[in-house]
Amino acid sequence: MAYYITEKCIGCTMCARLCPVAAISGEKKERHEINKKRCVECGVCGRACPQGAINAPDGTAAVQVPRSKWKKPVIDTSVCSACAMCVAVCTAGALEIKKPEKRGDIYVHAILANPKKCVGCSLCQRECPLEAITMKEAE
Amino acid sequence: MVCPVYAKIDLTTGNVSDFPISQEYFTKYIGGKCLGARLILDLTRPGLDPLDTEAAFIVNTGPLNGTGSPSSSRFNMTFKNVMTGGIASSNCGGQFGVMMKKAGYDGLIITGRASSPVLIDITDGDITIQDASSLWGLDAEETQEKLPGQYGKLVIGQAGENLVRYASAASGERMGGRCGCGAVMGSKNLKAIIAYGTKAPHIAQPQKFKRFLKKWIRFIKKHPMTGQSLPRYGSAGLVNKANATHALPTHNFKYGHFESADKFSGETLAETALTRNSGCVSCPIRCERRVNMDGKEVKGPEYETLGLFGANIDADNLDFILRVNYLADKLCLDTISLGSTLAFAMELREHGLADFGVEFGNVSNLEDVIRKIVNREGIYSELANGSKWLSEKYGGKEFAMHSKGLEMASYEPRRSVGMGLGYATSNRGGCHLNGGYLALLESVGVLSTDPQSPNSKPQLAVFMQDALEAVSTSGSCLFSAQTFIPSIFFKLGPTHPVTRLVGKIATHAGGVVALLLKFTNLICFNSLFLLPHAESLKLVTGIKMTTGTFIDLGERAFNLERMYNLREGLTCKDDNLPDRLLKTPQDKNRKDTVVPLKKMLPVYYKTRGWDEKGVPTEKKLRKLGVI
Repeated sequence: MAYYITEKCIGCTMCARLCPVAAISGEKKERHEINKKRCVECGVCGRACPQGAINAPDGTAAVQVPRSKWKKPVIDTSVCSACAMCVAVCTAGALEIKKPEKRGDIYVHAILANPKKCVGCSLCQRECPLEAITMKEAE
Repeated sequence: MVCPVYAKIDLTTGNVSDFPISQEYFTKYIGGKCLGARLILDLTRPGLDPLDTEAAFIVNTGPLNGTGSPSSSRFNMTFKNVMTGGIASSNCGGQFGVMMKKAGYDGLIITGRASSPVLIDITDGDITIQDASSLWGLDAEETQEKLPGQYGKLVIGQAGENLVRYASAASGERMGGRCGCGAVMGSKNLKAIIAYGTKAPHIAQPQKFKRFLKKWIRFIKKHPMTGQSLPRYGSAGLVNKANATHALPTHNFKYGHFESADKFSGETLAETALTRNSGCVSCPIRCERRVNMDGKEVKGPEYETLGLFGANIDADNLDFILRVNYLADKLCLDTISLGSTLAFAMELREHGLADFGVEFGNVSNLEDVIRKIVNREGIYSELANGSKWLSEKYGGKEFAMHSKGLEMASYEPRRSVGMGLGYATSNRGGCHLNGGYLALLESVGVLSTDPQSPNSKPQLAVFMQDALEAVSTSGSCLFSAQTFIPSIFFKLGPTHPVTRLVGKIATHAGGVVALLLKFTNLICFNSLFLLPHAESLKLVTGIKMTTGTFIDLGERAFNLERMYNLREGLTCKDDNLPDRLLKTPQDKNRKDTVVPLKKMLPVYYKTRGWDEKGVPTEKKLRKLGVI
């Protein structure tokens, strides 16, 4: 199952630029297409599409959400083991493992280093083996 | 049960086909190292040259790979050992394995030879072979920079292209170091394999697995070894420990103690060049050293590199070791075989047998020499063949520090005789890990058995070899198994009477270990404190697995590898060590500072259920279900 793009698409490329797994392709100003094999159903494309041209796997049209309302990961640093599974899937480059404050500090954890880059795909939450990540709307 | 998905790729014809793995094979051989050994036995004919067109190169993962299980990004490469002619399995922690699985494949079986440089691209379950001429001649770093960012990559550098026999392969900054996997890829004109996909790995019992992982990761974080020592000092922390027990090879394994070893110890590294610790994806231990090398943050050296480019060549220049580690990784050279071959060349010069322009204590020209080795320039091309080859040409076999042709890692076996037995019996040659890593229980660990005593070493070696084989098969890093030494001993310290008493008891517990190995079905439980990998494997695969059957799995893998070696002409005569270790005491005043291999080998064979010539008996193989 995967999201799909309807004929409403105007080829603005927004979804292709944001898709965390590079599953969307298409020429500018032409209807885009989602690679069914690759889609992880994160819904980022649907929330971003200004045309409402993207449907969820069940056929319902996805609704655009302003970027300021996109959920972002909140990391429970007391649980995080810094295994970097989340960092590995974050193609947007929003997550990092915190740099140690002083030499020899081994107590580090993942941080949302670049919140502006986060697309709210929640792949980090899915990958985290310790369930240390929850997706929350910014206050 | 979801069986692993394998593909067979013939680079000569360009044919790609699915290679089904039966339920029986999956249940019995699981994946990684064990399944790799089974497949290479099945699919190749005996007597092939390791670099022959027909030779198979198997890259595969274990079931835990990519599941979030701690330290589970390891993937395995199985092929005919370029250094020994026996089995080779090279294990690497880069992101390639995780990505290959996400791309839809658990393993690849690659044969043939492409007519020009190629790369294999696995994207969302589709495998294509593409031209890679533009990448040929580039080092591992440059090659990976030119390939698409999100992909998992496995590449070779110039060493592999030029068929340096101990060439390695790189995934990110991680190396599949040993046995010449880079040369095998190079011989196939295969510059790189890249993979990308988003398929989630199959987990049979996801809820239980999540709960178990939380417990296991917390346990790893709390353990003094995996939660403190390894993240603080990495494997580099062993330098001072080995030096203190005279187990740090010095002057090409002539001595075991180096006066200025502290200058390149893990502690010194942590106070000087270290910028932070890091780790492979999925690893909570994070033993990787990130170091500042001439203003650039790069991966730091492991213990073996420090030892072999430090004490073993009479040098104490940490900056040089950082540079040479980076250089060897870029060019894709195994730092253990390279370091040991250079030390051998130095000793050849000392004895007047050959002169490669390298001498003990002088590191000024070594980086230049290494480049010449990689480019196979003039006489330096001979150094690209390893110390066994050199000793056959120039003499000096008694101090060519290899077993079966593969150079030994940086543990002096005369001060850890069980490690000596491990080196001699390891299926891939002088490898500390395939050899059971008894040095940890003799000379560099907290809990130590008597390092000079042959008592209980054969039994412990068998147990450790099997356990480590099983951990590798599961797809986990061997460091995740270091928690089996109870944390209480770290709290008490190595000199506490209780720790010493337990060490003494363990020295005489060979009989108990042998009994446990014989009746593994008695270990019909799983415990965080022993080998948690068994429980993890059970929850991921749905296959019934106890610690006992997990050790059986390791035994199966070890015996399969032995069968391959025997098939390829390696015999008990090759379960040997250089005379320096067997006949010359490290300490002239202590006759027991040699490896009493002749005493240990028969007991080892017997414990393994092999005949006196080291051949697995039919009864043993039937019990293991491999025939």
